[in-house]
Amino acid sequence: MKTRLYVSVLLCAAVVAAQPVLAHHSFAMFDTAKRVTMSGTVTSFEWTNPHAYIELDVPDEKGTIKHWSIELGSPSILMQAGWKFTDVKVGDKITVVLSPLRSGEAGGLLAQVTVRDGRVLGNGPGRVGGQP
Amino acid sequence: MAGPKARALQRKRAALLVLVVLLASHAQAQAPPDLSGVWAPYRAGRGADPTLTPPPPTPIVLKPQYATPYDTRRAAEDEAIKRGEPLGTAAVQCVPYGFPRMMAVALYPAEIIQRPAQITIVTEAFSEVRRVYMNQPQLPIDEVPPGYYGHSVGKWDGDTLVVDTVGIKESVLGYQNTPHSSQMRITERIRLVTPDMLHDQITVEDPVVLEKPFTYTLAYRRMPNYKMVEFVCENNREYLDEKGAVKMKLRER
Repeated sequence: MKTRLYVSVLLCAAVVAAQPVLAHHSFAMFDTAKRVTMSGTVTSFEWTNPHAYIELDVPDEKGTIKHWSIELGSPSILMQAGWKFTDVKVGDKITVVLSPLRSGEAGGLLAQVTVRDGRVLGNGPGRVGGQP
Repeated sequence: MAGPKARALQRKRAALLVLVVLLASHAQAQAPPDLSGVWAPYRAGRGADPTLTPPPPTPIVLKPQYATPYDTRRAAEDEAIKRGEPLGTAAVQCVPYGFPRMMAVALYPAEIIQRPAQITIVTEAFSEVRRVYMNQPQLPIDEVPPGYYGHSVGKWDGDTLVVDTVGIKESVLGYQNTPHSSQMRITERIRLVTPDMLHDQITVEDPVVLEKPFTYTLAYRRMPNYKMVEFVCENNREYLDEKGAVKMKLRER
């Protein structure tokens, strides 16, 4: 129990520390205390400002597809963490961990992604992926 | 062989040589440092070098008629963030920050291009540009059309670049979102603390809004091989709902 509390405090500290890194707006619309993992097929990867986006088709157990819009940092912030614009492509099967929108809609803020060659990339320096 | 005349000439030549060397070394000592290059915000924290960490900011003391609305707005912002419905800012609508907030936007670097007559500062987020005109008198405030970057003049004080800026638009919020009047004046003292560490000490004066000036210092580390990234705000999916809260547009399948 103590360990769990310690971990969640650490997680909160990491989230608070990471927020200014992404800074074009407040991230309070995302529930950054939550982490949801999902796998799917990329329908679009937009390497744009003020944010990059991954559009993902995610099938459930019955094969019904739900579509998710996932927000990333900006290209500059992602590149400082080692990203390339070619790391995600349309048709890739990827696994993402995201903080969902508090509204319950199918959107979220990326925490990390496992890309097609198995590398795990975070959402900017200070997150998974680390400093350049 | 050498007569007294020749020896006198030799002594004169030697004296002249010493004078030239002295003048050259003096000129070198006076040459301003070259700040050109790309600089990234350097944040205090774990792993940071405490000797390079800038001093803490001095308190911001607003006059009472400005303090009340400022505090009310901050309380409303905190409350909205707790609800998960952050209030909109200009940046959410892709409007640039302007000076001085552009000098510290997350981890976005700034490029300094130094020429004797002009120092240009380009910041990566929103591709903002400031131009500092060297060794020119500052314009009277009421001759500067209010804008995002105002009018900046600079001069060297030894190894420190001193920049004076006026003419920032009142809608361009300052450090910690502080309000200001048309009478605001910002003085920066920019210097290399080490060859790869830059400090920008920023002092904000505003006789209308502030009880007294406040000062804060930003630190930057050199990024030797960094190529500035373009930033065109073409895919902004954030919008403000009818309550003024930030929302994210979602795509359909």
